[in-house]
Amino acid sequence: MSAMTLAASLRITLLATLALAAMPWLLSDFALSLTLSCLMYTGLAVSWAMFCGATNYLSLATSAFFGLGAYVTAWAFGDLPYLAIVLLGGACAALFAALVGAAVLHLRGAYFAVITFGLGELVRHAITYYEKSVHHTVGRVVSDPPAAETVYLAVLAIAALAVCTALLVRHSRFGLALRGIGADEGRAETLGVNARLAKASAFALSAFFAGALGAAMAVRWTYIDPPAVFNPFIGFQTVLIAMVGGAQTIIGPIVSAIVFSLLTEFLRLRFPYMFLIILGAMLIVLVLYLPGGFASLIERARQRRRKANA
Amino acid sequence: MSFWIELAATGLITGGIYAVVALGLNLQYGLMRVMNISHGEFLMLGAYLTWLAYTVLGVNPLLSLPFVAVALFAVGVGVYWLCFRRILGSAPSVEVIEARSLLVGFGLMFLVQNLAYLAWGADLRGYAFLDHAVDLGGVRLMANRLVVFGFAVAASLALLALLRYTLIGKAVRAMMQSSTGAQLVGIDTATLNPVVFGLGLALAGVAGALLSMVYEISPGMGEPYTVTALIVITLGGLGSAIGSLLGGILLGLVEAFGMHFTSPSLKMLLSYGVLIAVLLARPQGLFKR
Repeated sequence: MSAMTLAASLRITLLATLALAAMPWLLSDFALSLTLSCLMYTGLAVSWAMFCGATNYLSLATSAFFGLGAYVTAWAFGDLPYLAIVLLGGACAALFAALVGAAVLHLRGAYFAVITFGLGELVRHAITYYEKSVHHTVGRVVSDPPAAETVYLAVLAIAALAVCTALLVRHSRFGLALRGIGADEGRAETLGVNARLAKASAFALSAFFAGALGAAMAVRWTYIDPPAVFNPFIGFQTVLIAMVGGAQTIIGPIVSAIVFSLLTEFLRLRFPYMFLIILGAMLIVLVLYLPGGFASLIERARQRRRKANA
Repeated sequence: MSFWIELAATGLITGGIYAVVALGLNLQYGLMRVMNISHGEFLMLGAYLTWLAYTVLGVNPLLSLPFVAVALFAVGVGVYWLCFRRILGSAPSVEVIEARSLLVGFGLMFLVQNLAYLAWGADLRGYAFLDHAVDLGGVRLMANRLVVFGFAVAASLALLALLRYTLIGKAVRAMMQSSTGAQLVGIDTATLNPVVFGLGLALAGVAGALLSMVYEISPGMGEPYTVTALIVITLGGLGSAIGSLLGGILLGLVEAFGMHFTSPSLKMLLSYGVLIAVLLARPQGLFKR
């Protein structure tokens, strides 16, 4: 993707989005739900990589943002139109990320990862406590959910928006500042980057997509309760997809989101424990032997070709 | 009055366990910058080993404690050789070591936890051990909890003594200050790294074995302890052993009193409140100079 111009990449994204928008009328229900899950993980992984890939901050907060978005749906569904809820879910997650980011983004490395790892648990326990003590309930039922096509188109729009935003950020001064922070934060600040502001806004921006996806997907569960929506597996899978694909790129997470979602759908229900064991082993092997993700293989091949031509 | 002492004792007992779990994790992190997020999974393995020894072979849990420690030590050395040796050898910077070891830790977590599900199923398991109350000057406490507290504190103090008074402890402390410097004065870091990693898992195993005497166990039991251990080592300061001991006990007390004054379902929120307050006020940890 680095060889392509911004305009060309945006054009391809737009064409792919238009083609995918026709799918609800072409595919079977099963194939459509597969595509939906691919799109969801594309959005999650691309938005995760937008912040974490560029800045080298390891955030494990995706499931917190996703769950928060889902709970916005649980609370507001029926009172507000679906589209407004999706946007509101994203906005809530972004606001939460901005607040958390302002407090903890001066921590690097393990500290940051640890805080964000616990964030999901924190939000989950807070919501459970609130629901139990104020509303005397644990889960909520979504009655009369929107049609499957509506959900699909909403998720498609968010995923496409995430890819476009990632492209725009990548080719902007903002993206350059983020990459500068990732390479050497002190140097970036010396060169005039407001690191704190850049990090917090990128963190909030990436959280927006996770929150919006959570809000959009929540209506598919009819019954919403904390263990389901704060499932750490969603966050784990997002990080895994982005790292495996190559978090420094945009095409890497997209391709690996598709591969992993298909794998998950086919294997997870049939062999739940075995699947996670294999996934864990795969993650270890990949981190040890291919830390740049599969995109680094392509990059390496391209460099070799360039050298051969020269 | 005796009620408050009982409450404090409950806090101390939980805190003792927290300290043992956190000590192992902190040792690994302080020495190798390996943030082993699967630490709690090895605690769970320790608990299951003890449970198996008791229910299948009828071995007294206290007797199987050293065997669990040795077994987990061996597992730790194996895990180090298979996973973390390569990361430490190939990563260009400390930050990369932290990020990659965290991801490998996640992989291990899924691997070990689901192997346990496959082997023992998702049911809660438990056994009765010393479950009678003892009267200590008007304060009634369960005998097994007292035993657990005693062993937790003993294990923590033994580790602290090992670090402070033995040659190997001196070498480990030197490596924590500067790995390169330690190599320059002739400390064999290539041998000490796996030993310390194994030691960390042995402590996790001991904590699991102790927990199995008091609580019911399940394959998912480890995760909350990992999170708590991370909180404790942040409280006590990364790489500070005595900080982990004090931080663990402090967190246990805060939880016990906090839950009494608010509600048991707020336990996690309380721990997090403490963590965030400490991170904002003293990011280097409470007990670090």
